[in-house]
Amino acid sequence: MYITDLACISPQPTYTDEFLSGNLVPNAGTRYSALEPDYKGIIAPSLLRRMAKALRMGVGAGALLLNRNTKPDGIVLGTAYGGLDHCLKFLNQIVDFNESTLSPTNFVQSTPNNIASQLSLMSGNSGYNSTHVHKGHAFEAALIDALLFLEENANSTLLVGAAEEISAYNYSIDDQAGIYKKEETNSDSLLQSGTSGTVCGEGAAMFMVNSTDQLPYFARIRDVVMLNNPAPEELMVAVKSLLHNHGYQPSDIQCLVAGYNGDIRNDYWYDELTQSLFSHIRPLSFKHWTGDYPTASAFAVWLGCHILKGNAPHICPQPAGPVLIYNHYLGIQHSIILLDTK
Amino acid sequence: MTGMGIISAIGNNLPENRQSLIEGKTGLGTPGIFQSVYAEKFPFGEVKSDDNALKSRISGVQTSGLTRTDLLAFTAFGQAIADASLTDKDLASHSTAFISASTVGGMCLTDQLYENANRTSSEFEYLASFPAAAHALRICSHYNIKGFTDTINTACSSSLNSILLGTRLIRAGRAKRVIVGGTDSLAKYTVNGFNSLSILSPVPCRSFDKDRSGLNLGEGAAYLVLEAADAVVQKKAYAKVSGFGNSCDAYHASALSAEATGVIRSMEDALKNTGINASEVDYIHTHGTATENNDEVEAFGMQKVFGKLPPFNSTKTYTGHTLGAAGSIGAVYTILSLYHQELYPSLHFNTPIEPHNLIPCLQYHKDYSINFALTNAFGFGGNCTSIVFGKA
Repeated sequence: MYITDLACISPQPTYTDEFLSGNLVPNAGTRYSALEPDYKGIIAPSLLRRMAKALRMGVGAGALLLNRNTKPDGIVLGTAYGGLDHCLKFLNQIVDFNESTLSPTNFVQSTPNNIASQLSLMSGNSGYNSTHVHKGHAFEAALIDALLFLEENANSTLLVGAAEEISAYNYSIDDQAGIYKKEETNSDSLLQSGTSGTVCGEGAAMFMVNSTDQLPYFARIRDVVMLNNPAPEELMVAVKSLLHNHGYQPSDIQCLVAGYNGDIRNDYWYDELTQSLFSHIRPLSFKHWTGDYPTASAFAVWLGCHILKGNAPHICPQPAGPVLIYNHYLGIQHSIILLDTK
Repeated sequence: MTGMGIISAIGNNLPENRQSLIEGKTGLGTPGIFQSVYAEKFPFGEVKSDDNALKSRISGVQTSGLTRTDLLAFTAFGQAIADASLTDKDLASHSTAFISASTVGGMCLTDQLYENANRTSSEFEYLASFPAAAHALRICSHYNIKGFTDTINTACSSSLNSILLGTRLIRAGRAKRVIVGGTDSLAKYTVNGFNSLSILSPVPCRSFDKDRSGLNLGEGAAYLVLEAADAVVQKKAYAKVSGFGNSCDAYHASALSAEATGVIRSMEDALKNTGINASEVDYIHTHGTATENNDEVEAFGMQKVFGKLPPFNSTKTYTGHTLGAAGSIGAVYTILSLYHQELYPSLHFNTPIEPHNLIPCLQYHKDYSINFALTNAFGFGGNCTSIVFGKA
């Protein structure tokens, strides 16, 4: 699976070259809001008005790629929650008005598959279309789905990606479940905080993927490994197997992108992996830039692609070998992604 | 398919469901458990067991935090793996995958969700239960599933896409067996959503009838165990997935195009993927929700693809529209037809839609020869999926 184009909207200025050039935006508090571009030329103002943020970002990043590439054979996305803000609006209306007649817009817009469907609608794409909502593995499942499709269909391309928004719903509920920090926090000190909890982020990352290496590409996703509730040894075995299956050893990895999120309860996974197999390098964190959310690994893939190309020297020098991404969500859903130059 | 499990408005297990289909007995009516101001106004396809009854039947499962959507899923999942004689070792194998689907998730607890989201409740039992993936994560955890797992939400075609992805995983050698399906329970959230679109019918749904007045919502869950041919040693097999198609209508968020672009393409792709002509399909299990839009477009699309149609029906006239579970519930019924070589009647039908004049199967037929059967599911957002099942 060769990534030939990509776009990202996040709490950093990633829609343009600014972030890669070294303009890193600090954040404070427990919500890192995504910086949205001017969607002029991508989304009509009349549509924009009614869109939830996840939809705007997903369509903004996705349509950008669809507009400047040949029509792909399908669209596959991952999103844990979709347009939750509209979900809560509709929910509030149901309860506040005791189920009397409501406007359908919020209901229809809140469905997670609405992002992929809007993209197909806007680009007239009647090809394969699917949306994965498996929380911390939603993006990885979308990648596997895409990998299978590209293997099954010679000379095919797809738009694959993820989008997630912070909304009152997931923030309040997850906060009450103890996921976020209770104390004052900021992005500079997040990862060394030594306390429980992380911060909530949001964003969208989209990729054009190709089954062949005919076109210039940023990176090749060699494989994606998903683990549910593994024991630590299972993780080590899985990482070593993945590398071995593609002809690599841990010492070949010069860049490890790791999903540290500042939550002392679960960050130890990254320490253990690094100490065990990658003690020759310092892992590269990213969630102090993006916050944490179920599909944050999509940002990691976007970043990994640019690192492989040498586009982000301030962040990580261009590595000699592949980039390995290791991330987990809430310590339960773990994923390992191998990004290579060939 | 080596195992199937199902719970719906017409039965708590596979034999009960089949019996209702044979007898032409609908499960649509006034709900006894589901609470909403609309409970008296519209018929629903409610599962005839309350939450406590469901809990009592899934022995050994930690039920704290399980919503009705989860309970239905656990019920059907447990039946499916037992039917396929899967051992704990099989389930914990890295080559066993699980792909589920849901659109409602824990939103069936609409009022609880409202309170937690607005921080007006100190009831935290369900905080992790609201997302569509919640039931799947609980099942993974309980059964210690280590292989690929996923939850799909493409609205009403979700669980047919679960079957599609599971098939592809096996074909690619990434799994030896996959448990696939979906679940959804009645929820104020969806009832109000569909009502706001004015597509709920005040009478039991009249699929493919000229005077149809919309759909009835239903609930249920169905799971199927798919196994690679070489893993099916001395096991009974109900049927096999012979081919599939997935296409996006790309027309409107909540209606299908008059040209039936997605509908036609998903059926044609399924036939091509199977390697058969339309004339070789012996039975079609339609999406048949009985909305003005769906049945018109599906009828038009089927005629374009098939010309002369084989027998077809809509089992939503029995169960209502079970949303995320509709695909896999429909698949189970399609496979029952194929396995037992019989056809079930479509209910509540009087007059065909003009100018198509298509009449669904109206009687139970036994000893009906079926080699290939096609099933459709079309969701909001234009997500169209079709699967062809063949004899095992």
